[in-house]
Amino acid sequence: MKNYKSLYLLIFSLLLSISGVSTADNSPKSQLESSVNKILDILKQKDLDTASRRGKIREAINERFYFRAMSQQTLSRNWKKASPEQQNKFVSLFSKQLEQAYIGRLEAYTNEKIEFLRVKMKNAKRAVVYTKIITKTADIPINYKLALKNGQWLIYDVVIEEVSLISNYRSSYKDIIKKSGIDSLLSQMEKKLAENKTANAG
Amino acid sequence: MNIKIQLSLFILLTSLFTANTWAETANTQAIQLAAAPASTTSQDDDFTDTGDDDIEISDPFQSFNRAIFKFNDAAYVHVLKPIARGYRAVVPQGGRESISNFFSNLLAPVRIVNSTIQLKGQDASNETFRFLINSTIGVFGLFDVAKNDFKINIKKEDFGQTLGHYGIGNGPYIVIPLLGPSTIRDGIGLLVDGTWLDPVAYLDETGEYLAVKFIDIETTISLDKDTYEAIKKDSLDPYIFLRDAYIQHRAGAVKK
Repeated sequence: MKNYKSLYLLIFSLLLSISGVSTADNSPKSQLESSVNKILDILKQKDLDTASRRGKIREAINERFYFRAMSQQTLSRNWKKASPEQQNKFVSLFSKQLEQAYIGRLEAYTNEKIEFLRVKMKNAKRAVVYTKIITKTADIPINYKLALKNGQWLIYDVVIEEVSLISNYRSSYKDIIKKSGIDSLLSQMEKKLAENKTANAG
Repeated sequence: MNIKIQLSLFILLTSLFTANTWAETANTQAIQLAAAPASTTSQDDDFTDTGDDDIEISDPFQSFNRAIFKFNDAAYVHVLKPIARGYRAVVPQGGRESISNFFSNLLAPVRIVNSTIQLKGQDASNETFRFLINSTIGVFGLFDVAKNDFKINIKKEDFGQTLGHYGIGNGPYIVIPLLGPSTIRDGIGLLVDGTWLDPVAYLDETGEYLAVKFIDIETTISLDKDTYEAIKKDSLDPYIFLRDAYIQHRAGAVKK
């Protein structure tokens, strides 16, 4: 009897650990959740100095954001027309811009509760994770679109209250490219980033 | 009150003349929306195919809109926001949240009637329940008891959404002084809701009406976490950014 009992216990704990591993590491929801929580934790650490805090956040964001995919989507048809140098420059500028925007918004909501609701698998390599920020007067739905790459689910779009961040950037950039070309867009982005940098420092 | 009705009649009449263009926009939109899911799936690392499914936006009055956008920006930055800051300093957050709940509860008729016209029975009865509970136990709507204790969340519906639900497209994009982004369709929606379904419209004095609306707007701004400032800071062209966000947001609201 005693042996059986311990055997059951062993099997049970094995099963638990297996299921624990699989949900913790492989599901889009848990991967996203751990990243968002990681970023929130860094934001809440008030003892860190600004520079090292930003560095840590940037690292956490870079782990989870699929900036190249986001850039491709944002430029859409113009991506293929751009030279590899232009593409790379755009990716680097756009990631900085998105980083800033995402950190800024997350900072505003650090003290609110975030609920991770459910996952919708679009296919084996695409998923949407539905989340909600609960504030006193309203719930703000935020959906993360994720793509599977090398075992990691990476964010390629963030949809806030039905508004896709990517398609929002896409339309304004399309306008600028149409009017004055991609190099002008790149220099405008550079200028904006520099402006915000001085504004943040001051 | 008379002026408002005349205005809404005028806009309804002029809209009849442009109805054809609308139907067209609605059609292209429907086609684009229907085509959307297929485009994002296939390729692995190529994301350049997205964007074809974007909703097309008609903005023939852009230069005029931009002028009003500039005016609204100035009004927000120099008048509305500073007042909201003072309001924040004087009334604690809990108080402003209650005031916001009160105004939201007051607009229950807009949600109930529009849910009903769209034949969304469950939403209509939920909103009626919310209104009854919050107006009584929730002390004239100051507390959202229905959400907190009965787990029934608000579901926004307005006449613009009703028109959209029945297949009417946005029509041209417009920026309304002080109210901001809208479209011809949603502007008509605002007039219909604001004239007949908003209880505040039944106040006798225009001064009273404006005062109540002013408190409503300031409460909303005071509770907002600088969304507009963030958009202005992050985007190269806030006008386009807001326009697209508005159109996407409304398309999502109509679908729900």
